[in-house]
Amino acid sequence: MKHEISEKQGASVVAFTGEVDLESSPAAREILLKCLGTTGKVIVDLSQVSYIDSSGVASLVEALQAAKKNGSQFSLAAASEPTRRVLELARLDKVFTMYDSVDQGLDS
Amino acid sequence: MSNTPSGKERRDPRRFDRRKSTNVSGHLELLSKMSGHLAVTLNIEETIQKALDLIVQFVRAEGGALFLLDDVDASLVCKASAGPVDIRGISLQAGEGIVGQCVTENSSRIVRDVQQDPNFDHSVDDSTGFQTRSILCTPMTVHTQKIGAIELVNKLDDSGLFSDTDLLMLQTLASAAALAINNARMAEDLVEQERFSRELELATEMQRSLLPAPRPAPFPVCGINLPAYEMSGDFYDFFEIGDGRIYFSLGDVSGKGMDAALLMSKTSSLFRCLGKSLHEPNVLLATINRELCETAIHGMFVTMTCGLLDQATGEVQLANAGHEPPLLHARDGSFTPIPASAPPLGIVPLVAGNGGIRKETFRLDGGTLYIFTDGVTEGDLKDGSRLGTDGFKKIILERQDLPVAERIATIVSTLGDTGRKRHDDITLIAIDATSPCLIEDTQHNQGTMIARHTFPARAEELQLVREVVSKACDDCGCTRSMATDIVIAVGEACQNVVRHAYKDTEGGEATLEIYCKDGIIEFHLQDSAPSVDPDKIKPKWPEELGPGGLGICLIHDIMDEVEYLPVRSGQGNLLRMVKFIERTN
Repeated sequence: MKHEISEKQGASVVAFTGEVDLESSPAAREILLKCLGTTGKVIVDLSQVSYIDSSGVASLVEALQAAKKNGSQFSLAAASEPTRRVLELARLDKVFTMYDSVDQGLDS
Repeated sequence: MSNTPSGKERRDPRRFDRRKSTNVSGHLELLSKMSGHLAVTLNIEETIQKALDLIVQFVRAEGGALFLLDDVDASLVCKASAGPVDIRGISLQAGEGIVGQCVTENSSRIVRDVQQDPNFDHSVDDSTGFQTRSILCTPMTVHTQKIGAIELVNKLDDSGLFSDTDLLMLQTLASAAALAINNARMAEDLVEQERFSRELELATEMQRSLLPAPRPAPFPVCGINLPAYEMSGDFYDFFEIGDGRIYFSLGDVSGKGMDAALLMSKTSSLFRCLGKSLHEPNVLLATINRELCETAIHGMFVTMTCGLLDQATGEVQLANAGHEPPLLHARDGSFTPIPASAPPLGIVPLVAGNGGIRKETFRLDGGTLYIFTDGVTEGDLKDGSRLGTDGFKKIILERQDLPVAERIATIVSTLGDTGRKRHDDITLIAIDATSPCLIEDTQHNQGTMIARHTFPARAEELQLVREVVSKACDDCGCTRSMATDIVIAVGEACQNVVRHAYKDTEGGEATLEIYCKDGIIEFHLQDSAPSVDPDKIKPKWPEELGPGGLGICLIHDIMDEVEYLPVRSGQGNLLRMVKFIERTN
């Protein structure tokens, strides 16, 4: 898994690439929590995520919970098919705020 | 005797050349003929008869005989004879007669008037009516090895006497004949060696076939035998007796070589044959002992350990007759030797009550039982020191994370690759119920195994596992979206093994087997971690949202059947997941 953080319109956009699994999810968790500590709005770009497992999903859930606690905004954008499938299976697709694209998320 | 005219001839070789030019060219022709004969035949008798005929003709003698030295009793036997009387087969003792003296003293002789020579043996003339007047005799040697002698009788010219030149010729021709005979003998030896080595090869192959074929990894018994020579005096064997138990044995026959190998074959056959009906290891050893004693080969005996492993409980019953104590490496890391309770087999017919051979009963309980011959503990390491029991334990501890088959292979390669000549066979078996031991299941007809992947229980291994699963789904004809789902489910199951089953331990591993049959893809995920309570890993959605619970939830959502199967070895977990396939097209 690789990641890239960019600042757009006052928000942090975190783009993950590759597989977010047991091996990489601790890093994903740390990155997300760190961004939430510095910005009030975090958008996770999932378009280049080829696989995410329950530990990756757990990192997203933990970030969501942290955002809610701080009153920050936390959303997912452009979820790839495998990501969308796991979130659906986990019935989390309705729990997260999900946008079709990063731009849509920035505009909201 | 100093009948060596060569000295004289050497003084002026040019004179010799001029005077004997016809002889020399004839000599060369003769040598060439003899060589020709040698080239076409490897038969000694034929070779020497032809050589002698040519020599007799060339030197112009009335008759001749070629004697060969018998290696066994040092007598000289006539092997070829030319002339009016055939004396083939007559035999002279070392030093006897003119021929005997020639050979003993390794010197040539010209006897111009045999009637005046005290060494002349008249018996042949007397019995044949032949009249020997003069004799020319020269020994045949190759390097320092005495081969025999060639004797010519009665020069066919007016004088009836052999000249120094005749002797020189005979000496040269005898050297050539000696070489020819030596070559033919070596060729014969070679053929004999070849025949023997072919027989040995067959015997070796036959003996190797007595060892059981290795079984795929889930089988809890594996063994290795590395003979020091072609034939081995060690053996091991194992087979199932039909009630879920496995009989195993390992033995070491005293001595080396062919006799040990034959006794080995007999003992291992007795084990296999009697073991099918005698399901008490100590009774079995006592019975084998009786059989061996009935047909005892003096001074030979067999040390042997055999036992039964109950795959359902991991219980082992073991009996040891005079064999190096097997080592039980328990899960807590301790080693317990199991000493012999009786002398080796084949020495004394033991009294009633199985002759005191005891049966030890214990549980493997996640441990491993090692049985080995003294070729292992007394084997040399690279530095020349002995492996010893401590060295053995050390290697086992260092390699305990490896599958058991690799552990024992390490021991064998440590001893086998030292660059030193080994003098003892290395034989070793391991009984290990912690090896994944999947149930050969008839009620779950899981179809054909299309993939098997064993992996260390670490997070970084999971990506490869998913690739294996993804490919298997493709091979099984799953749609892409179904394959994606299956990868998620199996990935979660593997992740649980890494995160939970092995959470307190390092170095565990798991094996994923994938089966495909019509309309179904089935996954067996086996670990050897402490058993989990299936009740604790039921889906806990949605109240206790955590990654572990979420993973289980995903597995149950995606898969059509999810269950934990009992593990035959009593150790570890076996998760079975089944998906009914939607096929592409």
